[in-house]
Amino acid sequence: MPEFRLTINGKSEIVDADADMPLLWVLRDKLGMTGTKFGCGVGICGACTILDGGSNAVRACQITAADANGKRFTTIEGLSSDGLHPCQRAWIEEDVAQCGYCQPGMIMTACALLKRKAKPTDADIDKAMSDLVCRCGSYVRIRKAVHNAARLVK
Amino acid sequence: MTTRREFIKLSLITGSALAIGFDFDAEEAKSFQPNGWIRIEPDGTVTLTVGKSEMGQGVRTSLPMILAEELDADWSSIRLAQASPSDQFPRLGTGGSFSLGGSWMPLRQAGAAARAMLIAAAAARWNVAEGTLRTERGFVVHADSGRRIGYGELTGAAASLPIPSAAPLKNTAEFKIIGTRTKRTDGPNIVTGKAKYGIDTRVEGMRYATIVRPPVLGGSIKRFDATRAKAIVGVRHVVQVQSGVAVVADNTWAALKGRDALDIEFEPGPNASFSSALHAQRMKEAANETGFITRKEGTATAVARHLEAAYHYPFYAHAPLEPMNSVADFRGTSCEIWSPTQAPNSVQERVAEFLGIPKTSVKVNVTLIGGGFGRRLGWDYAVDAADVSKAIGGGPVQVLWTRADDMKHGYFQAASLHQLGGGFDEQGKLVAWTHKKVSSPHNARRKPTEEQLRDPNFYRDSSWGVYDIPYDIPFVETSYVRVDGPVPIGPWRAVFSPSSTFARESFFDELAHAAGADPLQFRLDHLGGAEKITAGELTIERPRLRRVLETLRAKSDWGKPMPKGSGRGMACNVYDGDTHIAYAAEVSVSNGNVRVQRVVAVVDCGLIVNPLGVESQVEGGVIWSLSSALKSEITFKDGQAEQSSFGDFEVLRIDETPRIEVHLIPSHGEAPFGMGEPPVPPAVPAIVNAIFAATGKRIRKLPIRREDLL
Repeated sequence: MPEFRLTINGKSEIVDADADMPLLWVLRDKLGMTGTKFGCGVGICGACTILDGGSNAVRACQITAADANGKRFTTIEGLSSDGLHPCQRAWIEEDVAQCGYCQPGMIMTACALLKRKAKPTDADIDKAMSDLVCRCGSYVRIRKAVHNAARLVK
Repeated sequence: MTTRREFIKLSLITGSALAIGFDFDAEEAKSFQPNGWIRIEPDGTVTLTVGKSEMGQGVRTSLPMILAEELDADWSSIRLAQASPSDQFPRLGTGGSFSLGGSWMPLRQAGAAARAMLIAAAAARWNVAEGTLRTERGFVVHADSGRRIGYGELTGAAASLPIPSAAPLKNTAEFKIIGTRTKRTDGPNIVTGKAKYGIDTRVEGMRYATIVRPPVLGGSIKRFDATRAKAIVGVRHVVQVQSGVAVVADNTWAALKGRDALDIEFEPGPNASFSSALHAQRMKEAANETGFITRKEGTATAVARHLEAAYHYPFYAHAPLEPMNSVADFRGTSCEIWSPTQAPNSVQERVAEFLGIPKTSVKVNVTLIGGGFGRRLGWDYAVDAADVSKAIGGGPVQVLWTRADDMKHGYFQAASLHQLGGGFDEQGKLVAWTHKKVSSPHNARRKPTEEQLRDPNFYRDSSWGVYDIPYDIPFVETSYVRVDGPVPIGPWRAVFSPSSTFARESFFDELAHAAGADPLQFRLDHLGGAEKITAGELTIERPRLRRVLETLRAKSDWGKPMPKGSGRGMACNVYDGDTHIAYAAEVSVSNGNVRVQRVVAVVDCGLIVNPLGVESQVEGGVIWSLSSALKSEITFKDGQAEQSSFGDFEVLRIDETPRIEVHLIPSHGEAPFGMGEPPVPPAVPAIVNAIFAATGKRIRKLPIRREDLL
């Protein structure tokens, strides 16, 4: 089986995997990092959203191990383990989560948005986050939390 | 206030901790069987072990709030442990929005009993009268001498005391924790990725599996050849199991690739030509039957003007974001299960039955649930895991359903047809109401017996929202006609009442418009008569509903003109005789596209434990309902569900989310009501009624499609 080298949350990892194994399963099954969630496996729901080296939000189910080779990624576990990243703090302050399953993807998408735009408008948030699914319906608080996080970032 | 209750003290396992067992369902139980435990450690930590599953409704926050209040514990000292089915926990289960109301008194009484014991222990230590002591955030305080002692230091002495069976409870006016805006206890774990859902279970040596199921409802496996699947690197086993053919591998991806590579043929079975259209036709024909009369009251007077309408409701999936999954480790004579389940005892019993071992040999670990909505009252996906573990000779294996498995092989919200009639007398007064519901009852988890099928009470669940119409009308007749079909039906969020409430509240709006009346005032005008009415086992308190409607009028700009193409509509409901709720929705319709701009909610849920949690459930319930009104349905063709993911079973997204304002009727009464489900039923008709106000077009079929409004 081929060997791939990638950097996850600043740590170098060497993974034996099928070249076409999605990064989602590399993270979850090979590296034991279960914070990145499986929701649909076809790039529709956004539960597996992580950040690439350029802090863009990408879907771990749509990136193969071969594509990921030599690249850097940040997952929810890499934001901070104590919940002190501005997005994590804002998510807690606004009490966003219901079941919480989609929230790692939501938070990572918000991080990418705030990197691009420090003070996003409602329209910016809609554009960045309208292709993610929350079945519990936490969107009202997600919107508040993104604005809140923008205030915390400075 | 005091209430007697039985407790048991667990001296054997406690050491120097104080542990008390209590019974959440004492009234139902024949003998005292504790199914909740509180344990206070010498370091002052308080652990509450409960059997309610957390799926986003906030029980892991609201239940400890109740305990902490009555125990006078420091909120930061509370820990929560999840119960597993055992002799100590024989009746776990989470559904029907019963967790909060059902746990309320037992938790308070247990907290009060423990607090009384800690006071007694302190009184003995200081040699003072118990009456001179009070408690304060985890301490017993003797005001006269200024002495304070932490609960932890008293546990050893308190554990040797008898448990009082009637410890005094706090007056609700004394509450310090209950009623405060309290954030979710699971929040920090969720935002750091540490929260463990079922799918995150990892057990040493665990294999990963997925099951290929016959696509047609009721179909079977004709033949399969495992050669190509086994050629995939990492695939270990390809085995036939009860629900299909399992591909077992070293990781999920290998299992999924093996599944795709599997050479397999199916027997379609008897339902290959089943379709939603066929089912709709069957419902239409069945509507000619009288069915079961679920309520009949009053006498029909002369009707001068009669209106009729039929409402159509589709099938829906639950589609929680975490797909069905479980881990099972079969060890020959025993089995351990890890499952995101709302029904741990059922999982234990069904896995034991399937494996042919005693249920005491099945250990069930309940994980966090990535969305339940009623789907995880089923045990099918846990039995799947046990089945696969056994088929490969034992050992831990995770069975994961794909999103398509989840969409196509779940239990569905029943499609239904509603025939409604309303009669006005010569003076224009509404004098008659008839509502017949045609649908399939719950048949997914257990097939109903013949006896049940003949029992009108069996159809109560299916008729929620029909027979409990709150309005005062001289003649009311409601009925239910059962239609059988191959689609597995199970409870959804708000069980089976969303369809009934959609039809009832939309048609009531039609009658208001027909009478030339304001829809909100028309409802108030029909909430006179008896203050309390009983429908089946449910009690409706009309003054509470009137207050909710008057508040809605005040908070929603009701009656204020709206721009052309926009409209405001409202609807209300009393959920399960408990939570009274009303919505006003504002929509704009342009070129057939509906945009819901604003939803104002007024909620009376009795005593409010956590306002932040109540608001969260209302927001979620509105958004859930908007998905069903505007986005998604499950359709069947050639005996199978046509939808497979969020691409064709769409749900509402953030850019379509309206402004949602929640107004809570101030906390009152002696008990709280659950809020997971009540926000759902009246939301859809409020939107439909708003669309009528905006366009003059009456929606009688869901989901709303653009072509209906062009």
